[in-house]
Amino acid sequence: MESKNNWKAWLYLAPVLILMSIFTFYPLINTFFISFLKNFDYRSGANSGFTFDNYGIVLGITEKVAGIPESKVTEFVQYALPNTFLVTFITVPISIILSLLIAIGINNVKWFKKGLQTIFFMPYVTNIIAVGMVFSVIFGDNGIFNFIFGLSGTKWVTESASWQNSMTILCLYIIWSALPYKILIFSSGLQNIDKQYYDAAKIDGSNKWKTTMKITIPLLSPQILYIMITSFIGAFKEYNAVVGLFNRNYTDSGNVHDLTTVVYYIYQQLEGNNPQMHIAAAGAVILFAIIMVFTFVQMRVSKKRVHY
Amino acid sequence: MKNPSISTRLNLIIPGKQKDIRSTEKRDRVLKAIAMIILYAILIIAAIGILLPFYYMIIASFMSEAELKLGSSFWPMQGNFFENISYNYTETLSRFNYFKYVGNTLIVGLLTTVGQMFITIISAFAFGRLKFKGRDTLFAIFLATMMIPGEMMVITNYTTMSNLGLIGLQTTGLQSFTAMILPFLTSVFYIYLLRENFRQIPNELYLAAKVDGKSDWNYLWKVMVPLSMPTLITIFILGIIGSWNAYVWPKLVVSNQDYYLVSVALRGATLQLEERPDTFVTQTSWVMASTVLVTLPLLILFIIFRKYIMRGVGRAGIKG
Amino acid sequence: MEIKIKGLTKVFPGDIKKGRKDAIAVHDLDVDVKDGELIGLLGPSGCGKSTTLYMIAGLLEPTSGEIWFGDDEVTHLSPEKRGIGLVFQNYALYPHMTVYKNICFPLTNLRVEEPEKDFDAEGYALIVKLVKDYAKIIKVINASNLNGKINEAGAVNALCETYKISKYVAAKLYKFNFVGAADPKALSEEIAKEYQDKLNNEIAKQKNKGKTINDKFVLLTDGKPNVIRRKLTKDEMDALIREAARIVQISDFLDRKPSELSGGQQQRVAIARALVKKPKVLLLDEPLSNLDARLRIQTREEIRRIQQDTGITTIFVTHDQEEAMSICDDIVVMKLGEEQQIDKPQQVYKDPKNLFVAKFLGTPPINVFNGVIKNNAIYVGDNKIITSKKKLPDGEVYVGIRPEGFMVSKDEKAKEGEITLNVNEVLTMGRDLMLVCSNKEFIGEKIKIIIDSDVEAKVGATNLKLRENKVYVFYKKTEERIYF
Repeated sequence: MESKNNWKAWLYLAPVLILMSIFTFYPLINTFFISFLKNFDYRSGANSGFTFDNYGIVLGITEKVAGIPESKVTEFVQYALPNTFLVTFITVPISIILSLLIAIGINNVKWFKKGLQTIFFMPYVTNIIAVGMVFSVIFGDNGIFNFIFGLSGTKWVTESASWQNSMTILCLYIIWSALPYKILIFSSGLQNIDKQYYDAAKIDGSNKWKTTMKITIPLLSPQILYIMITSFIGAFKEYNAVVGLFNRNYTDSGNVHDLTTVVYYIYQQLEGNNPQMHIAAAGAVILFAIIMVFTFVQMRVSKKRVHY
Repeated sequence: MKNPSISTRLNLIIPGKQKDIRSTEKRDRVLKAIAMIILYAILIIAAIGILLPFYYMIIASFMSEAELKLGSSFWPMQGNFFENISYNYTETLSRFNYFKYVGNTLIVGLLTTVGQMFITIISAFAFGRLKFKGRDTLFAIFLATMMIPGEMMVITNYTTMSNLGLIGLQTTGLQSFTAMILPFLTSVFYIYLLRENFRQIPNELYLAAKVDGKSDWNYLWKVMVPLSMPTLITIFILGIIGSWNAYVWPKLVVSNQDYYLVSVALRGATLQLEERPDTFVTQTSWVMASTVLVTLPLLILFIIFRKYIMRGVGRAGIKG
Repeated sequence: MEIKIKGLTKVFPGDIKKGRKDAIAVHDLDVDVKDGELIGLLGPSGCGKSTTLYMIAGLLEPTSGEIWFGDDEVTHLSPEKRGIGLVFQNYALYPHMTVYKNICFPLTNLRVEEPEKDFDAEGYALIVKLVKDYAKIIKVINASNLNGKINEAGAVNALCETYKISKYVAAKLYKFNFVGAADPKALSEEIAKEYQDKLNNEIAKQKNKGKTINDKFVLLTDGKPNVIRRKLTKDEMDALIREAARIVQISDFLDRKPSELSGGQQQRVAIARALVKKPKVLLLDEPLSNLDARLRIQTREEIRRIQQDTGITTIFVTHDQEEAMSICDDIVVMKLGEEQQIDKPQQVYKDPKNLFVAKFLGTPPINVFNGVIKNNAIYVGDNKIITSKKKLPDGEVYVGIRPEGFMVSKDEKAKEGEITLNVNEVLTMGRDLMLVCSNKEFIGEKIKIIIDSDVEAKVGATNLKLRENKVYVFYKKTEERIYF
C-alpha cells in the first residue's frame, strides 16, 4: 500500500510541482543568481560576468557608470529604504494596536456584532489602487478634508506637497487598508477563547480591563505574533498604496524620490525599454534578506511571550 | 521561628465593594453603562472612518465637476441629481472601455480560478489524504515559500514569459492572457486551507470507499469535494477577488491596451474633458465614477458571499 | 457564612422565530445553608443544578427570587464582589500561567485594610534575626539536596517550609551562601550588621518624616496608626499561595503549567485558586466528573477534609448520588428545576418523599412494582405487602422495595408481608449474594436483590419476607409518598 501511494501521490502533485518549480523555485534561485551578474540582458541571457557591483549600485556605493562619481544612484538608500522603514515602523504598531482594540471592542458588544464586523472588513475586498485614488481626491488641495478642518490649500498628496504631509497620508491610507485583515484574525482568535476563562476571571475578582490585559491578550498571543510578522512583511512590501495615492510619474523632476518604497524602486528598474534586471534582482534579494532578518528577530523575541 | 498564620492576620477586602450592597450594585450598573456607551461611541466613530472613503467615492461621482472642485459638499447640491449622474457615467464609460476590461478580467479571473481550484484540489488531496515519503517535509517547504516576497519571483518570471514569447506589443489575446494566468495557477495558501478541510473528513469514509473498490480519483471528486464545498466556494471567491484587484503582474506583462485588466486600465485611463480649446483637464468626478465602477462589483460580491470570505480568511489566523 | 435562597427562578426566554418555547431551568427553589455546611445539589442532567450554582455565583441573573449571603442580599451583585470561590467542571485554569501565578491571580485583585506598616524595616529585622542561627540555615540547605547536589529551587522551597517565610526572603538567605562560606560565623555577623544598619537607616528616615515604628512595624504618626488600603505585598501573596498549596497538597508543582499536570492535579490547583482568597463561600461544579473512578473516591474525601479544616460554607453540584451521600451534610435533590427533597443523606435515602428521589438514590436502584391499595392494604399482584394503620383511598400505586429489603422466607405459601418472586440467577459477590429475579408486576427488566451470603438461595419461585422499613409506596398519579 505504501509504495503504491508513493507514485500515485507524486502523480497528483505533478502539476503543482511543475508549476512551482518553474514559477517559484527556479525564479528564486535565478533571481539570486542574476543579482550577481553584470550587464544582464534578459532577452539573450548574455552577461558580462560575476560581480558584486549590482549590490553596490543599489546601495549607492558603486558607480553606475564606471569612472563617473555622479552616476552613483542613492535613490535606494536615501529614499526608498528609509521611507519603507518609516512606513513600516509607523503603520505596523498603530494598525496592530487599533485592530486589537477594535476586535476586542466588537467582541464585547451585544448588538450589531455582525454588522460591525462586515463594515470593518470592507476595505479588504476593495482595490487598493482604486481607493487610493479616492483618498487622493479627499485629501486634494481643495478636497473635502481641507474643507472640514479649514486647511484649504494645504497640499497633501499633490505634486508639490511636502514629504511629511504626503508620508502622513500614505501611512493613514495603509493603516486604513490594513485594519480589516487584522481585525478579522483577532476576532476569530477571540471567539476561540473559552468563555470559561472569563467566568473564572470574574470570580477571581478581575475587572474587564484587567481581564483583557492579563487573560485575553496573552491567550491571543499566537495570533498577535502571526499578525506582527505578516504585517511587517506586508508593510515592507508596500507598493499598490503608493501607486494609487500618488499619480505621479517619477521620472519627472522635483520631489520625485520622496515617496518611493523599496518595491517601487524594484519595479522602477523594470520599466522602460531597457529593464535593469540585475539591479532589480539585487534589490529584491536585499528586500528578502531584510524581511528574513526581522522575521527571525521577531520570532526569537516572542518565544517567551507567546503561549500556545 | 513561626510567624502567626498570615491568613488570620490579614484583613482581605474586595475593592470597590461598599458597605451597602445596594450602592455597590448601583455603582456597578452605572459604570457598566458608561463603559458600554464609550465603547459603542468609539466603534461607531471608527466604523464611520472606515466607511467615509466609500461614501465619498460614490457621492463624488454623482457631483458635477465644478462642485467637486470646490470640495466643500457632502452631498451633491448643485444641478439636477439624476442628470449629473447620467452625464458623469456616460462620459466616463465612453472614455473608459469598462466592459471590455471587465470582460478581460472575468476571462482571466475565471480561467485562473478554475485552474487554481483543480490544482488545489488534487494537491490538497495528496498532502491531506495520501501517505508518501517526504510528505511533511515537502509541505513545510511549500509553506515556507509563502514567506518569500513575490518580488523575488517576478523578475525571473518576467524573463521566462518573455522567452516564451508571451510579452511584447504584438501579442495576441491568448498570449497575453496566458502570461497573466500561468504563474498564478498555484497557491500554497489555498492548498493549505483545503488540506485542513480534507483532514477533517473522517478516515473511515476513505476506508469504506476503498473497501467498495472505488479508486482514489473517484473518492476525491465524488466524496471529498462535495463535503468541502464551503471551503471551495471561499477559494473560488477569493480567487476572483484576487484577479480583479491584480495590478502589478498584469501591468508588467501586458503592453497591449486591448488586453488590460480592469485595475491596470483604471490607473492608466485618461478621463479628460476638453474644457477649453486644446486644454484637456482630468475630470475628477469621472475618475471617481471609474473607481466606483471598479470597486462596486466586488463590494456587492462581498455582501452576498460575506460568510465565505470572512470564514476563509479568518481560518488562517486560528492556526497562526 | 449563611446562605439563604428564596424562591429562586430562572427562565431562559424562547425564540418565537425558531419555535423554541421558554425553558424553565429552575423553579421557585428554597434552600437554607448553615454556616460551615457542605451541601450537595443532586440531580440528573438538565435538572437545573448547575444553573442554580451559577446564579449563586453571580454568573447568571435570576429571573426572580432572592439570594442572601448572611445579612446581605446579593441577588444582583456582580460576581467579582461576592467573595466566593468557584471550581469549574473543566477547572478553567489559565493555560498561559504557571500554577503559582494561577493561584496568585485572585490575590492581585484583593486589598488589605490595616494600619500602615513599614515593610522594608520588617524585612531587614527578619534577616537580622534569621542569620543569627546560620548553622540551622546551612543544615536546611544541605538537607534539601537532590542526589547530592544542591539546587536553588529545592533549597528555597526547604527554607520556605522550615521558617515559614516567603520565597523572596528564602532566596536572599540562599544567596548569602553560608554553605560555601569559609567562615560562616563571621559572614553571619557581617550580614547581621549590614541589615541592622539598613534597619536603623530606615527608622531614621521615617523619623525625618515625623513617623515612628513600633515593635509590630506599624508606622505611627503622633503615636497613632494610619489605616490604609493597600495591595498585598509579594511576601504576603507568597505566604497565602503556599498555604493554599499546602492544603491541597500541590506544593511541588508550583512552577508547572496546567498542561503539564494530570487531571487530578489540575483540579487541586483549581481548588487552591478558589480557596486562596479566603472566601466565605465555596462552590464546586461537578468537580469529580472528569476524574477516573479510583481518583474520584480519593478526591471526594479530600474535598470533605479541606472543607472541614477550613470551615467554609460549601455547595457542590453533582449527578452522582453516591458522591453526594458520602460527603454532604445535606442534599438538595432536584428534577427539572424543582426541588424534590432537602434532607440529610441518610434521610433522603431512608425517607424519600417521592418516587423520583427513591429511584435516584441507592445502588443497585430501588425495585419498583405496580401495586394497588384495596381495603387499606397494599397488594403487589396476589401478595399482600402491608396493612395500613391509616385510612387510605383505594387506588393504583407504585411499590418500591430496596434491594436490601428482602429476606429469604421458609414459608411455603406467601404470608402477609411477603412477596413471591421468580429467582432467575444467583450471583455471588463475596460478602453478599445478588439474586436476579422477575415478577409480573415489576416495572423494568430485572429485579435485583441483595441478601446475606450465608443464606441459601435457589433458582425458582421463592417467597421473600420484606423488611417493612425498606418498602415505600407512592401514589401512581402524583408519585408522592404515602405514609401509613
